[in-house]
This record gives sequence, C-alpha cells and structure tokens, in this order.
Amino acid sequence: MLVGTASRAFTRLHACLPPSEPSRRSKSPMSAVITIANLRKRYSYAKRGRGLLGGFSPQHVSIDAVDGVSFEVGRGERVAVIGPNGAGKSTTLKILSGILEPTSGEASVLGLTPWRDRKALAYKIGVVFGQRSQLWGELPARDSFNQLRHIYDQDKAVFERRLGEMVERFALADLLDQPVHRMSLGQRMRCEITASLLHGPGLLFLDEPTIGLDVTAKAAIRDFIRDHARDHGQTVLLTSHDTRDIELVCDRVIVVNAGQVVVDQPTGQLRKRFLGRKVVTVLSAGPQIVVDLPGVTRRASEAHAVVLDVDTRLIRVEQVITAALAQGGVEDITIEDPPMEDVIHDIYASALAVR
Amino acid sequence: MTSTHLHSRSVEAAHAASALLSAFRLGVGQTLAGWPVLVGRCIFYVILLIVLSALWDKVAAERLPGTQAGDLPPGGLALYIGVTEWITLALPAVHLKLEDDIRSGGLEPHLLRPKSYLAQTFSQSLGAAAVRLTALGVTALALLAVTGREPPALEAFPYIVVLGVLGVVVGVLLYALAGLMAFWARRTLPFQLVIQKLMFLLGGLYAPVTLYPGTLEGVAKASPFAAHLYWPSAQAIAASWQGFLTGLAWQGLWIVLLSLACVRLWRAGLAKVLREGGV
Repeated sequence: MLVGTASRAFTRLHACLPPSEPSRRSKSPMSAVITIANLRKRYSYAKRGRGLLGGFSPQHVSIDAVDGVSFEVGRGERVAVIGPNGAGKSTTLKILSGILEPTSGEASVLGLTPWRDRKALAYKIGVVFGQRSQLWGELPARDSFNQLRHIYDQDKAVFERRLGEMVERFALADLLDQPVHRMSLGQRMRCEITASLLHGPGLLFLDEPTIGLDVTAKAAIRDFIRDHARDHGQTVLLTSHDTRDIELVCDRVIVVNAGQVVVDQPTGQLRKRFLGRKVVTVLSAGPQIVVDLPGVTRRASEAHAVVLDVDTRLIRVEQVITAALAQGGVEDITIEDPPMEDVIHDIYASALAVR
Repeated sequence: MTSTHLHSRSVEAAHAASALLSAFRLGVGQTLAGWPVLVGRCIFYVILLIVLSALWDKVAAERLPGTQAGDLPPGGLALYIGVTEWITLALPAVHLKLEDDIRSGGLEPHLLRPKSYLAQTFSQSLGAAAVRLTALGVTALALLAVTGREPPALEAFPYIVVLGVLGVVVGVLLYALAGLMAFWARRTLPFQLVIQKLMFLLGGLYAPVTLYPGTLEGVAKASPFAAHLYWPSAQAIAASWQGFLTGLAWQGLWIVLLSLACVRLWRAGLAKVLREGGV
C-alpha cells in the first residue's frame, strides 16, 4: 500500500521536473567501467478486453521501465541504485548484464555492448540475484563451484586459490559438502556470492543481495562484498531496499524513480541529509508512552503502541529508549530503518525543492 | 585460416567439451543423490515387466489375432517390452526443467554464463539418463536371472545398448521440443502429452510396429518415435546387423533433425526473452 502510494506520489512529482541529466559525476572514458547514455526500455503487453470475447480484442499497453537513464561508473566504485518498486532498478541491471535489450540508448560495460556481447561479457562480470539461485540445489556447493569452473574455462590452480580465499573469508569450510537445498538462506547467499566471484570478475552486479536475511547474515554479506571489492579493485553495482546495504557497502548512490535518475551523489552526502533516521516502536501495557525530545517525532500510534521517528543527527536512539523506559510499563521496543520509500520520498521532495 | 586461429578454435572446442562433460557428470551426481527415487523407479520397472510379460505370454500362448504376424519367438514380446520400458523409464523430465526455468525466470542466471544453456541442459539430462539406463539395465538382467526367462541372443546385447542409448537421446530431444514451447505457451503439458501418446502409438511402446497394417507400419517406422523405441527394442526379438544399421540410420537422421529443431526453437525463444525480459 505504502509502495503504491509513494510510487504514485513520485510519478506526480516527476511531471514537474525536467528530464534527468547525465551524471554530474562523470568519469573520464579511460576509467569508466560502465557508461550508459539515454537508455530506454519500454515493455509492451496485451491487456485482455472485457467480456467473453475480450480475449479476441486485446488492448496493447506500454510501460517505460527505464526512461532516458544516463550515468557512468568508474573503476573500483561501489554504487547503489535505489528506488521504489517498479522504478527501473532491476531492468537497468538486466540491460547492463546483457540479458535484456533496451528499446533505445547506448551502454558500454567494460568496453562491451552488453546485449550484443553477452557471452564475452559473461567472463568479465559476476551477477547475484537475491531471489534466484545459480547453484544446483540437490548437490553439494563444491559440485556447483566445480561446474562453474568448467563453464568459465578456469584453470584449476587459479580456481582452487580463489575458492580457498573465499572459503576462508566467508567461513564456508563446513558448507562445501552440504547440499545447497539444506542450507539456510544466509548460508546459501554466501555460496551464491562465492559462485559469482570464482571466475575473478572485475565488475559485480548485485540485485537485492540481502533480501530476506537476518541481521547477522546481512552484516556478513555486506562486510564481505565491501572488503572483497576494496581488496581486488572490483567495481560493484548494487540494488537494494535496505538503507544499511547502501550505507555500509557503497560510496555512491543513484536514486531512480519512474525510470529516471533523480539523484546521483556520494553516500556520505546522502547519509547526512537523508539516512540519519531510525524508526523506534514502543509497545506498552499501560498508557501510551510519550517521548517529548528534540529530534523525535511521533508518527501514527495505536492504543498501546507508539511509533517514533528519530533524527539521529540530533539525538541518539539510546536516549530515546532511556526516556521511554523511564516511564515504566514498556513491553517491547523495536528499532528499524525507515522504509526505503520514505527515504526516497524525502530525497525526491528535496530535489524538487532545489530545482 | 592462420595457425593461431586454429589453435584458438581448438582451445575453445576443448573448453566447450570439458563444460559438457562436467554437465554430464553433474547429471550423474544429481541422479545418484536422489537414489531413493532411482530405487523406486527400478521397483516400478519390475512391476511393469511382471504384469506386461504375463499379459504378452498369455496373448502369445493363445495365439490371439495379430500376434502371429512375423515370426515372434516365444517370450519375444516380453523382451521387447523390457527394452521399450528400459528406454522410457530412463528418460529424464527435461521438458519440466525447461518449462520451470523458462517460466519462473530461473533462466536468467544461466544466460549470464558464457556456455549454452541448451547444450548444458542436454548434457546434464543425458548424464541423468546414463545412470537410469545402467540401474534399469542391471534390474532387467537380474529379473531375467530370477525368473529363468530366456534372455535375448548374446549378439543382440551390443545392438540393444547402442540403439537404446541413442533412443534415449531421441526421446530427450522430443521432450525438449515440448519444454521449449514454454517460451510461447503457459503450460507445456499438452505438448508433452501429444508426444507421449505418439511414442505409445507410433513408437510401439507396448507392441512392435510390425503388427500394424502395411502403410501405417511404414509411417511408424520412419517416425522419430520409432527411432526412440521401436528400432532398439526390435533387436530383442530378432537381432541382426542389417536391422541394427537401419535403426542406426533412422536414429542418426532424427537426432540431426530434432537437434536442429531444438536449436531453432531455442534461438527464437531466447530472442523473445532478451527483447521482452521474460515470458
């Protein structure tokens, strides 16, 4: 519901804005790993008409999933592409990895045109889809890794060295001989990321890599992606709905909405302006808890629950919790990041105000 | 063509062959990992053979109309059924894998790899089929030993094995055609059912196509379904070098034609996915 409402609000806002411009952080052609210019992807589908004979007179509907996106990514950069559902993030990622042809526009990834040089590009990139597995479920992870060695024509010694490194850094030793379908989601994701890196790609695409994982598993994945990319000079392009993925892994953020780039700036700047918030929910047995402190805003509340929006630039979460506990009767407290849709809405509203 | 080009081509071919061999091994590993299913398949094979052998022995003993056509040896039909079921039960459900990958979006990770998904899938399926053929073959020999039924002539065995393996290849290609229809149809079940029924009718699943009247027999023998089942199984009744070569020729022809059809469908479907982003 929130997503739908936010998306519609953005679409309305978008009508007021000029078309998105190419990234202001453009790289020189030598250092750019990804260059895309005015990329567009229009999906068309047939919508069934009404009534019994509706199937014989379908209406053809078109949607612009990516609408004139332009940006560059330099070697070794770790970039997050964020946006609400249906913003065009995954479509952009698919085009850049070569498994989707754009309607128009140009793109170069590591000097290749992805949709024309799909197989050549495959040797140079690694891709992880958070919601799709690239491993063979019934077999131990080791067998999947070995199969990938043959698929990517890897020398055995090089492959063993890389696998050894991953096993050590990702604590995979106990998982190698375990069938993939018996692993937890977090364990499987560690194997998925390992599988995408075994051929030594210079560029890693990650589509929602931490979706559905618990806090510990998320932290392990983030640390690994960041450290591995930093140590190997690897370029990373990541999409996520989790603001912590963006803060902890990426040094630059591109916000897309309705198929267009809305904001493109370093994570540090974005963090200062938009990511310094937490949502604290306090459940109480008795009367509703009241926390009246600077930087704390009360959001929608129910009889025994109050939801507080905390601006961590003005006040620490710990202070808010202490104030709540001091009133007595607290049964439960949860601390969450604000929904991505809210963050993007703030970013978008801010961009609109500037223009 | 320069020697460098030739060298690079041969390296590429060696890599492709290595990846296919590895996929074959993966299929072997997957099937062995599901050994309880394999055991169940062998038990089912035994039940089928006991029931169908009893039926065909009775038909032969009572000399029912049609069974006197040709010179079927006593127990020959039971052996024939043994081979057709050996091939049929060894077939992996390649159509279901293709349908699942194509319709669920599971194809995407495969498209991000430098080797052909279709070739890898075939190779993996053939690996699975190899394990099943071996397990079912051993089961059939054990059953022959236990029941004391007269086995096929000794010289028939190499013919049956070669034609049987190629029959499985034809079957995998036929089912792959059904699976690849998932690019355009919501369900591939109707295509699979049509192919299955034609295997039954024109392939001679339960009786040799030589029992059909003249023209129908000719049509059936020339069909890919006979290349799948009839030609390997006919060797169990009357093994001959000439029959083996004829079967081999039909199988070779149909493997080439069906492979071309699969590649054609795959390319058309892939172009659709790359253009539309899914099915």
